[in-house]
Amino acid sequence: MTGGSWLCLLAPLAGTILILVGGSWIPRVVAAWIATISVFVAFGGAIWAFLSVHNQQYTGCLNGTCRGELTTAWTWLAAGHFSVPLQLLVDPLSTMMMLIVSGVGGLIVLYSIGYMDGDEEERRYFAYISFFVFSMLLLVEGGNLLMLLVGWGLVGLSSYLLIGFWHERPSAVAAAKKAFVMNAFGDATMALALFIVIAHTNSLSFGVLNVHFSSTQANLIALGLLGGAVAKSAQIPLQTWLPDAMEGPTPVSALIHAATMVTAGVYLIARTSPIFEQARTIELMAAGLGALTLLVAGLIALVQTDIKRVIAYSTMSQIGYMFVGVGVGGYANGMFHLMTHAFFKALLFMTAGLAIHALANEQDIRKMRGLGRVMPFTKWCFLAGALALVGIPPFAGFFSKDPIIASTLNIGWYGYVFYACGIAGAFLTGLYTFRLWFLVFPGEPSPFVREHYHDHNGREGAWTMLVPVGILAVLATIGGWIQFPPHWDPITKWLAPVAPSLADAVPSSTQETVTSIVSVLVGLAGIAVAWAVYSERKIAIPAVPSVRRILENKFYFDWLYDRIFYAPGVWLANVLRREFEEPVVLQTGTDLGETTLAAGGIVRRLQTGLLRTYVLLLAAGAAGVVLAFLIAK
Amino acid sequence: MLGPDVAWYIAVAAFLFGIGALGVLIRRNTLVVLLSLELMLNGGNLALIALSRQWHNGAGQIFGLTVMAIAASEVCVGLGLVVALNRRNLSLDVDTLSELRG
Amino acid sequence: MILASAGNALVWIVWIVAAFSCLASGVAVISFSNAFYSALALIGNLASLAVMYLLLSAEFVAAAQVLVYAGAVVVMFLFVIAYVGPRRETPWSGGPSWQTVGAAAAAGALLVEIVVAVGMQANGSLSHETSVGTDFGTPGWIGRVFLTDHLLAFEITSVVLLVAAVGGVILGSHTRRATA
Repeated sequence: MTGGSWLCLLAPLAGTILILVGGSWIPRVVAAWIATISVFVAFGGAIWAFLSVHNQQYTGCLNGTCRGELTTAWTWLAAGHFSVPLQLLVDPLSTMMMLIVSGVGGLIVLYSIGYMDGDEEERRYFAYISFFVFSMLLLVEGGNLLMLLVGWGLVGLSSYLLIGFWHERPSAVAAAKKAFVMNAFGDATMALALFIVIAHTNSLSFGVLNVHFSSTQANLIALGLLGGAVAKSAQIPLQTWLPDAMEGPTPVSALIHAATMVTAGVYLIARTSPIFEQARTIELMAAGLGALTLLVAGLIALVQTDIKRVIAYSTMSQIGYMFVGVGVGGYANGMFHLMTHAFFKALLFMTAGLAIHALANEQDIRKMRGLGRVMPFTKWCFLAGALALVGIPPFAGFFSKDPIIASTLNIGWYGYVFYACGIAGAFLTGLYTFRLWFLVFPGEPSPFVREHYHDHNGREGAWTMLVPVGILAVLATIGGWIQFPPHWDPITKWLAPVAPSLADAVPSSTQETVTSIVSVLVGLAGIAVAWAVYSERKIAIPAVPSVRRILENKFYFDWLYDRIFYAPGVWLANVLRREFEEPVVLQTGTDLGETTLAAGGIVRRLQTGLLRTYVLLLAAGAAGVVLAFLIAK
Repeated sequence: MLGPDVAWYIAVAAFLFGIGALGVLIRRNTLVVLLSLELMLNGGNLALIALSRQWHNGAGQIFGLTVMAIAASEVCVGLGLVVALNRRNLSLDVDTLSELRG
Repeated sequence: MILASAGNALVWIVWIVAAFSCLASGVAVISFSNAFYSALALIGNLASLAVMYLLLSAEFVAAAQVLVYAGAVVVMFLFVIAYVGPRRETPWSGGPSWQTVGAAAAAGALLVEIVVAVGMQANGSLSHETSVGTDFGTPGWIGRVFLTDHLLAFEITSVVLLVAAVGGVILGSHTRRATA
């Protein structure tokens, strides 16, 4: 059992080290394949771990997990009674995440062989991306809260490195900094929460979360953890970094900002669910933030013109759904949507990448009309992903999104608010997704497309790009069939030992059915409106300039944060530089030099060259020595 | 011991030494510097002989004789230097002889 | 008693005269601008020192002082001063201004320190006077001590004298090469 988890964790790290050591001695494509093979080896390890958990007999609950096993390498930190071992946890929740991360990750790394082909710094890219896979696996496999936090920080670092990969672009560098700083805020709140845990229980293993905390402590801990989750998953109010993160290469957007890293917040809430259940208010606050985000992101996506940004806001919106799911207590629902979302969102990003590549790095959708005529494979794969996203049966999203919306019905009046948000969100999802589809793919190719489209030896892309897209298209279609509550729900049963759903979060089968039908109808309505407005031009968009302005400025979050945080920070830095750094710190160096020169000038005057001076010094020295002897006597 | 205590002798020796030191430090003629050196040596000698008498220790007089011999040798060498300097038409002013070459 | 006190008074008088002439001739040595006069003043200094040695029962040392110092060393000095020729020099001028001040200060400091040490009676070791026999300081006694207790000093002194003689000859010899 544990061998699989160690293999899974260490294979990508070995890949990174091999690429680093190889340096410029290995050809770029070799580095690419090292990374890809290491992630697929990790996937093998994940399957091994999954099978061993599946076959293990139920032996009781231990350390916050039932049906799981902790494997320890050595004791990492030890101070008195407090110790943190270097350990991995293999249990149903972690193996599920391992499979998703390494499986979808492997496909995306394979895709990036074709996407990044020809880039000068390919080796650096593949070293970073296998390091990212290692960090994400450390996050999900971490056996105690500190290992989770280490993985948390490392994925933030990898995200920074990969967003700013094309570091000659100032916009990329700025986006990387923004992402890192916002994530650092979340890291800080998480660390504060862990401090409270240590203060109360003197341990950081997952089992301590079952200990009874006082209400204030539980609220503070949950709030700190929620801060980290909100930062990492780009929910309101820490969401502004995610659209800017699209400066990175498209596979990076697919892997980090769609499938894996941004979903770490959902994983965190599921993993630490005992403490969130002790602080129910904070858990419901998570759901509330998720509901708000899914609406806001859906609205902003309506006016975006960059193809990757539309998909980024869609990611933000879908993670809002996941937060609603885990916030009300249906952890399995949230995790299931995480899985299907990984499939279809990565698929959407990768097909967008195919289009961007074919059009020589053009990302403006207003220029891309009629692309489906020249890129049919891309068109159909994108359509599969779009239908999965909107939640039309039999595609994957239908099976995962509707249980989340339905689970909000039994928790009180705010549940109804979440329900309304979820249904409205479904409409918006249909609208913006098919706005994108209708603007880009059907119809006659635009002059821009005719002029700039170039294929790859007769095919739409290298095989390394087309194969993963195809596989994900299949998964996006059939991936949802694994769970269809209330008829069959293996995932809920699988996760039950670790994160059992709260009773309030389980809807009755009537509620479930009604919700499914309503959300499908609403999604189809969205598609219809999009068709009417963007394809056939039957209805014109109502022109409300003020609304349009609000949406285009992303609800003024960036403007606000710039004024509250960035401008004062820059002012303070300039003041410090002017008043302290230049006069004191820098001047010290100059002053030291000048003082030494002056002292040397004074001492130089002793060297007169005259015999009498030196004899005088001798006599003075002798007098001094005798004086010392006299005093000693 | 008849006459002054040994402390008086030591005082005279100290003054003699001080006068010799002053001469070495102030005079510029090399020969006079050597003469002042002789004064200093004699001052030390007087102290030695006085204390030898005080403590009935013969080593003091022996040491004094040795100092005398050493002083003679040192004068011999020093005056040889002066003669050599004069042969090369160099100044005997201590302040002028401030470089090692020439 | 009266003879003893008279002897004491005589010794005192001799001592005062000898000490005064010693210090006066010392000042004269460093003050004359003519080096010849300084060497002549040194003779006076050496003679008064010999008198003081006699008062301290060091007869052989007094004789050696007159013979070696006044007879040989000062004669050498006079030879070289005559050979070098007249050089006029103002004794107290030249050099950096702080040098004179510093010199006086250093010499004065040394002097004061010695006086203080003596004044503190050097922890009382200056007060233990032992009586000496009549053969203390005689040539025979010196010879015996030189050849038994302090033989090493005797031998090394002879080596030093040889080396100094050789060195003096070399330094004073004519140069074989043309010099600047």
